[in-house]
Amino acid sequence: MELMKRFVLIVLLILSTCKGSPPVDENKPRQPAAQTIKIGVIAALTGSASAYGRSIVNGFELAAKEINSKGGITLELIIEDSAGRQEQALSAAQKLINSNMVAAILGPTLSTEMRVVGPLAVTNGVPILATSNTAAGITQIGRFVFRNSMPETIGTPLSIQMARDKYNIKKAAIIYGDDDVFTKSGFDTMKATAERLGITITTIEKFQKGQADYSAQLTKIKADAPDAILCSALFNEGAVILQQARKLGIDVPVIGGNGFNSPKIIELAGQAAEGLIVATPWFSGKPDKRVQDFVAAYKAAYGTEPDQFAAQAYDGLYLMDEAIRRSGTSEREKVRDALASIKDFDGVMGRFSFDADRDVVMAPLVIIVKDGRFQLFN
Amino acid sequence: MLAQQLINGITLGGIYAVVALGYTMVFGVLDIINMAHGEVVMFGAFAGMLLASGLGAPLWAVFAGAVIAAGALGYLLELLSLRPLRRRRVTAKLAPLISTIGVSILLENVALKLFGPGNHPFKTPLSDMKFSLAGVDIYLVQMVILGISLMLAAALYLWLYRTKEGLSLRAVAEDSEIASILGVNIDRAITITVVTASMAGGAAGVLIGMAYSNVSTQMGVSIGLKGLAIIIFGGMGSVGGAVAGGLILGLAETLIAAYWDSGYRDAAAFFIITLVLLVRPQGLFGRDAAAMRH
Amino acid sequence: MHLNPYHLQIASFALINIMLALGVYVTLSTGQLTLGSAGFMGIGAYTTAVLTVNCHVPVPVGIVAGGLLAGVAGVATGFPALRLRGVYLAVATLGLGEMLRVVFIRWEVLTGGAVGFTGIPQMGRETLDMLNTYGLNPQGIGLKDNEFTAFSVFLILLLIAILTVWAILRQSSSRVGRAFSAIECDESAAGAMGIDIHYYKVLAFGEGAFISGLAGALYAHTASYISPADFTYHRAVEVLAFAVLGGIETAWGAVIGAAVLTVLPETLRFISSYRYVVYGIILVAAMVYRPQGLIDRALLRRFTAK
Repeated sequence: MELMKRFVLIVLLILSTCKGSPPVDENKPRQPAAQTIKIGVIAALTGSASAYGRSIVNGFELAAKEINSKGGITLELIIEDSAGRQEQALSAAQKLINSNMVAAILGPTLSTEMRVVGPLAVTNGVPILATSNTAAGITQIGRFVFRNSMPETIGTPLSIQMARDKYNIKKAAIIYGDDDVFTKSGFDTMKATAERLGITITTIEKFQKGQADYSAQLTKIKADAPDAILCSALFNEGAVILQQARKLGIDVPVIGGNGFNSPKIIELAGQAAEGLIVATPWFSGKPDKRVQDFVAAYKAAYGTEPDQFAAQAYDGLYLMDEAIRRSGTSEREKVRDALASIKDFDGVMGRFSFDADRDVVMAPLVIIVKDGRFQLFN
Repeated sequence: MLAQQLINGITLGGIYAVVALGYTMVFGVLDIINMAHGEVVMFGAFAGMLLASGLGAPLWAVFAGAVIAAGALGYLLELLSLRPLRRRRVTAKLAPLISTIGVSILLENVALKLFGPGNHPFKTPLSDMKFSLAGVDIYLVQMVILGISLMLAAALYLWLYRTKEGLSLRAVAEDSEIASILGVNIDRAITITVVTASMAGGAAGVLIGMAYSNVSTQMGVSIGLKGLAIIIFGGMGSVGGAVAGGLILGLAETLIAAYWDSGYRDAAAFFIITLVLLVRPQGLFGRDAAAMRH
Repeated sequence: MHLNPYHLQIASFALINIMLALGVYVTLSTGQLTLGSAGFMGIGAYTTAVLTVNCHVPVPVGIVAGGLLAGVAGVATGFPALRLRGVYLAVATLGLGEMLRVVFIRWEVLTGGAVGFTGIPQMGRETLDMLNTYGLNPQGIGLKDNEFTAFSVFLILLLIAILTVWAILRQSSSRVGRAFSAIECDESAAGAMGIDIHYYKVLAFGEGAFISGLAGALYAHTASYISPADFTYHRAVEVLAFAVLGGIETAWGAVIGAAVLTVLPETLRFISSYRYVVYGIILVAAMVYRPQGLIDRALLRRFTAK
């Protein structure tokens, strides 16, 4: 009997998916349903990428609240977790496209996930806007794929060049994570830039995900006495590398990849973050009213300062809102065309346009950590 | 540079050794791999982090808190996921392996909910104190880590081989049925083993936090993997093997990164396993019988 | 006719996971505990990716080649594995998988390294293109393009999974299957009976690797993108959990275990970020209440008796 009961349970479990789970409607629209437009979000809320997924979803939710309070149209966000894994991202995308019938998708968090979700969005004709993918070749997946996150190839060369000019850097060491697409493509850009600028590379050191001890690599770097360290890592690993480097007595400037660009790195690394240089599409210290309002609202809602992931997500939903208002419909093809036509959009990240390849056109800033906060570098 | 790298390697090795001790004890007595041990270490590290960074507690209190928290977790682990399996009269050798995997997934995600994603700074007053010896920088933390790991290993060894408690544990490890006939309370012996192993794990968590000034909810996975590798080539159920294995791996990883290619650092553990097992299928310090057991 | 590609997608991943679980089951049926399945899966996936993209080999040929190369690697591993038992073998194969992953990361010219391998032909889209060149159109049977691609992937996987299950069931009731279970029960007794233990254990290892490689190749042509992060130790542990949760007494255990554990995280989507907490609890509870797995011989007998 017990066996049978358990079997019935399993069958029920399987059947319950076939019916499709109900959409998550936290911000249920007060206005008539006709004006409600469903937007799907794929974010890594569990697993190792959840630090980024959380900021991203915060950015979307804050923007949705503001947009919906303005009236006119109501955007209903349907948020799905991908756990940072391709299969899960693909299943989530299929659910959003086919079960929830969303007008467009925001996300997924990782470039690797976009590699599988992007082609699906293209075959289904669903506009998809990446707000956190920085690897090369993302929007080349197809005509429905957009991004508003700055690829590594735009920011990093500028930061290296400016640092070289200021500190007269002749030789530099590189350290990067070799088993992650984000840090690996950041490294490719760094190496190419260093070679182009005639900076001698003293050594190239690698590390792997989840490593906590970088002393072996850093001791080796120190022995070559470079003028600077180029480091492609995500901010969690980055903070530890900075701390351990400073502890070993390496006090040369560190130029970080896009992954370093988070106020969290100052929180985690403390004093060790001083002198860190990064390129950013987003700078919270900008004396612009829009930027300061966003920072204040974000702090009030989530208790921390927004990072670039939150800012990119926030602007991302506003871009989508703009496209939907312009096209006056939730039809996927028309939303795509409206999105592609956006030029000189003023967001918290500054003036933004899509190029012919639906990729980012914007001027990055270079910032440095000084006195415990990010300041403009010049 | 070599001297500095050796110190780096020994520090890392000391931490690995303490992690491996937890695995080897549980395997010795229960004959199973506790796949949740890495997550127990992680919880210990977080308990220590909350005390050290949050309350600024002194070092002894940080260790005590972490050890108690990890021990309590070990007790729950045994009570909820191991003991019920022994109650069933079904011989399913792999069931405890999977149920501890379940616990590890559970703990990792509970920690994510409790503490939040990403790294959390682990602040101790010790972390910046250092002295120079013949041009080599030695941090006080590194000495403390090495000292504590050797002390822990020695204490465990004495407890297992010089006390009555340890004798009954070893009896259960040898043959639990006969031990039971001879009047050893099996459940009690196993509970003591799992709790003690978890307490060692809690201490290991604090050592990691102290050494690298950061803890994260993801740390259990990679540290667990290293611990597993060490007990395999050190030899299952051997305290000396765990310590030697830990030190060998710590040094190997550091020297590979220093003199060859840091991209192969994480694979070092498995190169060593393969090499050792091809020559000695029972591990460096394992008894022949251990390898022949299913 | 309406088919939801979301459900087909989950079903497709469930079928791939069933294949992976069967690979582990075959090796386990001789008592060899392996955690190398992720590595063999990777060999299959990268082989077909390189063959179909760089050498323009037809997809079915790539898939078979992927399975075969993984099988060869499995046989090569099977020999040294003869010296190892139980947990030692498990961790040694785990090590093999991790070393293979390092190879996938470092052999950049061929695999694309950590950035991954993109543009692998997707089975569904390939089938659709083929139909279109013959002037056929899925609208003829009332299916939209996306429904058709998802459906054709599902059908191809279903066919291969059924064939695999059939082959394994047939083998278990043959001389080979009886030799396998004799070895699993008591190796020295089996040896005394004149069973060539080495031959059958290596055979089981090779077969398991072949099935894992096949599943990997099919995964590559379903996701159309692979990266070394797909073939980590997590995957191997997860696949072992499929097989053991389902039960390792019969092949049906692997089938049910993989299906249940693939569908579970999807049904738990409504609790969002708590779903893996619940997943962990269910794994523990299942083992506590059914340590022999969901499906055992007693249960099968009950079903077949009716």
